[in-house]
Amino acid sequence: MLIPDLTVKIAGVSLANPVMPASGCFGYGEEYVPYFDLRRLGAVVVKGTTAEACAGNPPPRLAETTGGMLNAIGLQNPGAAAAREKIIALQQWSVPVIVNVSGHSAAQYRAVIELLDDLTVVAAYEINISCPNVKAGGMAFGTDPLVVAALVRELRGATKKPLIIKLSPNVTDVTVIARAAAEGGADALSLINTLLGMAIDVERRRPILANLTGGLSGPAIKPVALRMVWQVTEAVEIPVIGMGGIAGARDAIEFLMAGASAVAIGAANFTNPLVCPETVEGISAYLKENGFASVKEIVGLAKKK
Amino acid sequence: MSKMHMLEIIKQETVAPGYQRLTLAGEINALAGQFVQVRVSATYDPFLRRPISIHDAAEDRLVLLYRTAGRGTALLAAKKAGETLDLLGPLGNGFPLTDQKQVVVVAGGIGAAPLYYLLRTLKKAGKQVSFVYGARNKTELLLREEYRELAANYSEATDDGSAGSRALVTDLAAPIIAGLDAAVYACGPLPMLREVARLADCFDRSCFVSLEAQLACGVGACLGCVVPVKGSEKYRRVCVDGPVFAAGEVFFC
Repeated sequence: MLIPDLTVKIAGVSLANPVMPASGCFGYGEEYVPYFDLRRLGAVVVKGTTAEACAGNPPPRLAETTGGMLNAIGLQNPGAAAAREKIIALQQWSVPVIVNVSGHSAAQYRAVIELLDDLTVVAAYEINISCPNVKAGGMAFGTDPLVVAALVRELRGATKKPLIIKLSPNVTDVTVIARAAAEGGADALSLINTLLGMAIDVERRRPILANLTGGLSGPAIKPVALRMVWQVTEAVEIPVIGMGGIAGARDAIEFLMAGASAVAIGAANFTNPLVCPETVEGISAYLKENGFASVKEIVGLAKKK
Repeated sequence: MSKMHMLEIIKQETVAPGYQRLTLAGEINALAGQFVQVRVSATYDPFLRRPISIHDAAEDRLVLLYRTAGRGTALLAAKKAGETLDLLGPLGNGFPLTDQKQVVVVAGGIGAAPLYYLLRTLKKAGKQVSFVYGARNKTELLLREEYRELAANYSEATDDGSAGSRALVTDLAAPIIAGLDAAVYACGPLPMLREVARLADCFDRSCFVSLEAQLACGVGACLGCVVPVKGSEKYRRVCVDGPVFAAGEVFFC
């Protein structure tokens, strides 16, 4: 039996396989170099990058929860100019790099793109309109369809590279936002970002996180994410990168079958640094065992009656 | 050398109620003050790995000393000799070795865990070590005879006077830090670390503290475990920039 074809194309970007780390869970890749060969990834998605350096939120920033964790990092990053060097360093792996672009205003998103747009290693931008842990921008952008469409339209004019819009699950109807992003000119969507949550330390009688609230990730959110991927892939024609609680190949296959063209793995990297390459292998094994020649054959498969 | 290890458990001992010493077969090239991220369950429940400081390391073994504080460490304590343990490490920076001949090491409670390997390292380097060990009571002065053997000067304090002086460990440490031109190392509860750092600052001693934090990745990627840098708006990561910091460098939290 032939080795299954794992290649996918998202927004014009060819990936050797459909698995990538989710932004914020993989730094700029360098921390995971001691653990595995980054060439085994479909793409590297780097930490949310803002125009200027961002210190992030005061600690505590983390709380473990049942089946997952809360974080309120607050977009700590070195800023686009310093990130540029780290992104250039990723060139050696010959893997497409997707830069997660974050900001508090349209001008700031644009500034990040302008600082990085000449880099050929940057295959696409993931526009983070869904960070729940910053006061201005972030999720504030991602919950109003008119704002989303306007932002995407503006950024569309700033670059020829593909724009992937990362959606927040913290909305009443995610398909409304998905359609707005598509109408604004998005090439692809990625979903979901974390779900807004909270944990309280009953001894201290205070929220654990200094930010009070944080973003919930991990296996606990997978059913919510999967449902939203299903809904969004019904609502729009552009491809979707599915994420939210994926911790192995079977989870990833569920997202592909729900309609995602590729998947991203977030918090599970913390527990198992090899989760991404193991997921690639697990998808390949599943395809082989079940007689599929290509991963594209299972995209949306669960929707076929 | 890879940082992913599957090590066989040789021994799992209860050294005091609620405190375990876990001996593993194998070598991971660890320095004193580094830690490992232990996977306590093969499932994702509990979700995160548990950071455990390295109590001792040698060519053929790795020893962890830990408190069973919650579900994760209880699962770890239930593992038996013959089972294998999935761990990442060594992680973190470890204690820098001082040029000074005289060294004061201050331990509070389970904060003593990484200091055993430090004491061994300092002794091997020919340092003159004064070790000050504090705990709530005699039972929680874990492995006190083993620590005593490694120190040129040993003193202990308990809250209830059941061993050593009925005093705070920092009360015992104060005159030693004041009187010796020594480098100071400490690991323990935050109030203890703050006082040790204050004393070291008063007498102009170089001082290194090992901090604890809730971690997620443990490798520097997630930026979850940060502490604020003094005199700046910036943060440093406990997992890779620490867990050992120069006492004046960061706020302890």
